[in-house]
Amino acid sequence: MSVPAPHELIRFAKERYHAFTEIAETFVDAEFHFSAKDNLCANGFQARAGSAILEGYVPPFDATPVHRLKTAGGQLVGKTTMDEFGFGTFCVNSAHGIPLNPFDIQRSCGGSSGGAGAAACLIPGHIALGVSTGGSISGPVSFCGVVGLSPTYGRVSRYGLIDYGNSLDKVGLLSRSATLVREHFQTIAGPDPKDPTSCAQPQLPTKGRMPDSLAVPKEALANLDPAVSKGFQEAVGRIQEMGVKVEEISMPSLRYAMPAYYILATSEASTNLARYCGMRFGRREEELNQHFNDFFSGVRSQSFGDEAKRRILLGTFCRMVGFRSRYYLKSLAVRQMLIEEYRKVFEDHQMVLTPTMPFLPPRFEDIRKMTPLEIYGADFLTIPPNLTGMPHVSLPCAYQQGLPVGMQLVSDHWREMDLLEMSSEWEGHFPYRFPEVGP
Amino acid sequence: MKIGLEMHFQLPTRSKLFCSCPTSAADPNHNICPVCLGYPGSRPSLNRKALEVGLSIARFLDCRIEERVWFSRKTYFYPDLAKNFQITQYESPLGTDGHFDLNGRRIGIWRVHLEEDPGRIKRVGRSGEEVSFVDYNRSGIPLVEIVTAPDMQSPAEARAFIDQLIIELRSLCDLDAQDEQKVRVDANISVGEERVEIKNVQGLRNVERALKFEAARQTKLLAAGKKVILETRRYDEERKVTTSAREKETEEDYGYIGEPDLGEFHIGQMAEELDLKETPLVRARRLMADHGINEVTAKQLVLTSSSLADMFELLCRSVSSEKAVTWTMGPISSNWSALQDHHELWSEVVAAVKADSDGEITDNEAKRRILSLAGVKQETAEAGDADLDHMISDFIDAHPEVLANYRKNVKAANTVIGHVMKESRGRYSSKDVVEEVRKELEKRV
Repeated sequence: MSVPAPHELIRFAKERYHAFTEIAETFVDAEFHFSAKDNLCANGFQARAGSAILEGYVPPFDATPVHRLKTAGGQLVGKTTMDEFGFGTFCVNSAHGIPLNPFDIQRSCGGSSGGAGAAACLIPGHIALGVSTGGSISGPVSFCGVVGLSPTYGRVSRYGLIDYGNSLDKVGLLSRSATLVREHFQTIAGPDPKDPTSCAQPQLPTKGRMPDSLAVPKEALANLDPAVSKGFQEAVGRIQEMGVKVEEISMPSLRYAMPAYYILATSEASTNLARYCGMRFGRREEELNQHFNDFFSGVRSQSFGDEAKRRILLGTFCRMVGFRSRYYLKSLAVRQMLIEEYRKVFEDHQMVLTPTMPFLPPRFEDIRKMTPLEIYGADFLTIPPNLTGMPHVSLPCAYQQGLPVGMQLVSDHWREMDLLEMSSEWEGHFPYRFPEVGP
Repeated sequence: MKIGLEMHFQLPTRSKLFCSCPTSAADPNHNICPVCLGYPGSRPSLNRKALEVGLSIARFLDCRIEERVWFSRKTYFYPDLAKNFQITQYESPLGTDGHFDLNGRRIGIWRVHLEEDPGRIKRVGRSGEEVSFVDYNRSGIPLVEIVTAPDMQSPAEARAFIDQLIIELRSLCDLDAQDEQKVRVDANISVGEERVEIKNVQGLRNVERALKFEAARQTKLLAAGKKVILETRRYDEERKVTTSAREKETEEDYGYIGEPDLGEFHIGQMAEELDLKETPLVRARRLMADHGINEVTAKQLVLTSSSLADMFELLCRSVSSEKAVTWTMGPISSNWSALQDHHELWSEVVAAVKADSDGEITDNEAKRRILSLAGVKQETAEAGDADLDHMISDFIDAHPEVLANYRKNVKAANTVIGHVMKESRGRYSSKDVVEEVRKELEKRV
């Protein structure tokens, strides 16, 4: 069987797998090809962040990470499919199609950077810019069997990112190999005056250090699908064979991460999404000759998806009088508590190891049966490092029923290069498999 | 009666609070960018100069300044608000618990904070067919909000407070010259128990009028045994009345959260290192204390020009403060325009006054010396007067009909006055021109 040319693969990825919402008209002979999640602004492409309300919004500027990759010689070949504004775990909440898992098209790619996961899996050598708020890189990485880095909060400029939760959002990378991720991470990292939160970072070291001891919180091993448990245990065995210690510990605060995350993320999201009202940019189909309140409500009712509306309601509620201190302010305290709990673990271990997702990529028909709360629960392993702003990678660690199982490594702030060192080392001990894509 | 004020002043920065758009006047929607339009993907970054000016105001008002401050999002939907939330300061203002001394009475300052201005809505067209336009040039302009305690006791006092505050801030940080007209005020006023907020009154005069109306309205209600209800009212500039706005948002309804894009600012050291200018009224108080002069004289000195006050202080080093006042407010003040920019002459002025004070020369001699020091200018002024005379007689010579008309009706002089005013482009005061024209015409009649 002949291997399709890279451009053909990009077209396949768009047409067959719905990994892209838009692709470039022509492909040039660039140093490398990269894609950007549709919530990253780029000249010449719409930036719709998976939402109908941004139909036709072509931003007049490049997001900093996009700009930096272009400057390094890359061509932006397309925008990848995502859950509306990043609101989702399975990439089924998009106004622009649902990406299909390259391992089994009946199954989800994970979310919200689902298109990025599929593109990274389908196209060898491809580097995909993703964004994680509560696990939106790790999730798709795990389900699509690729490598993904969510850097420390503030390591990569968010200028040009369409916000979900500004105190949580991180731009990261997805690819088939840790080597590629490392190379391009060095390009996109670093301070940017256009994003003040990126300006407090220490310099990125040129090389990382291998850990000698990993901690596995026992709380993370409960409620796992048996296939994931089995795959993860195999991986732990391999890691020990590599000469790295693995020790089971307890992190009792992990259970508070999820409620705190949803309160903070939706509180911020509900203010971020206030600007979408049919004025200044994006879709405007409502009759102009009416009171602005009715006009705004009309546009918003019509164009936001159900999950976006649910999160706006949830976040607005949490910010209101009487609830603000009970929910919003308390969640800020939980975040601090969790950071301290991680720090304590990092006194004796360099990284925290868990599975990435609690189950194998689910079938679309099963997702339809899940309640919103069950779906939110699927993120319980990816949320803690996101809430604390700590860098993490997800790597394929086993194959069960022909599907990839992912493991997640979390380190202390700013230690991305250590995670990537470990990731490269792991690749040498565990060969990855990718599905074949026919012409 | 209790009155408290929330005042908004535009800060004198060249660029906006969170982007580099200019703050200068421009055609509608020309000073805009993705940041101040709230485009998805754009992000604010703080204008350091605005922070500095805001801090100097907080320090000037003797506020307590925290080490760490941050910004908040105040969410409400309105077409002129680009992001449908305003970046302001809620839990952590730049300063709290300060005060301002108003004619010997201490007015409490509750807080001083920074925030961004929304855009501006303009309605055009006939009533019933109105169209609204939004101009975002103003979106993101830096404002400082100053909130007072309800310490003022009358509308006149409230006006005096704003008036004096503007004098001080203008000298402290070059506030806009139009601030008496441009200041935007929310005023809280209670005659009895319950207070009423009058929102968004623009300009000093309107604030006083709105408060006067509201004080009278509340007094009448109470006298009739009725109750004043807690509410927000608006001031109608045309009808000069306040009307109920039928709404009362409380601060909590805005669902404040921290602004995560800007992070925290450590301002302690910056605030400490600021070098505050001595403002006019503070200087007046110091002059009163240092030199035992009265308040009227002190204010006159500092408000005429700060250099005249400098001259006064210079004189005080050599002569008694009574002498210094007499001479500064007398011959020196009346010739100050000729002297103020010639610093090299100042010591000779001092020498003349000192010689007089020491009894070495007479008052008249001292005065003659000062006039002669200013004399360079005086000669020019005389030459100027000669020019004026020429201009007038030339015109009358060339237009004999003017004299004929003048005999019938003295208003004919206006033809000459108009010509001279136009020709001289305002070089002479209208009073001088009128006087000289009359004189010349009368001479010829």
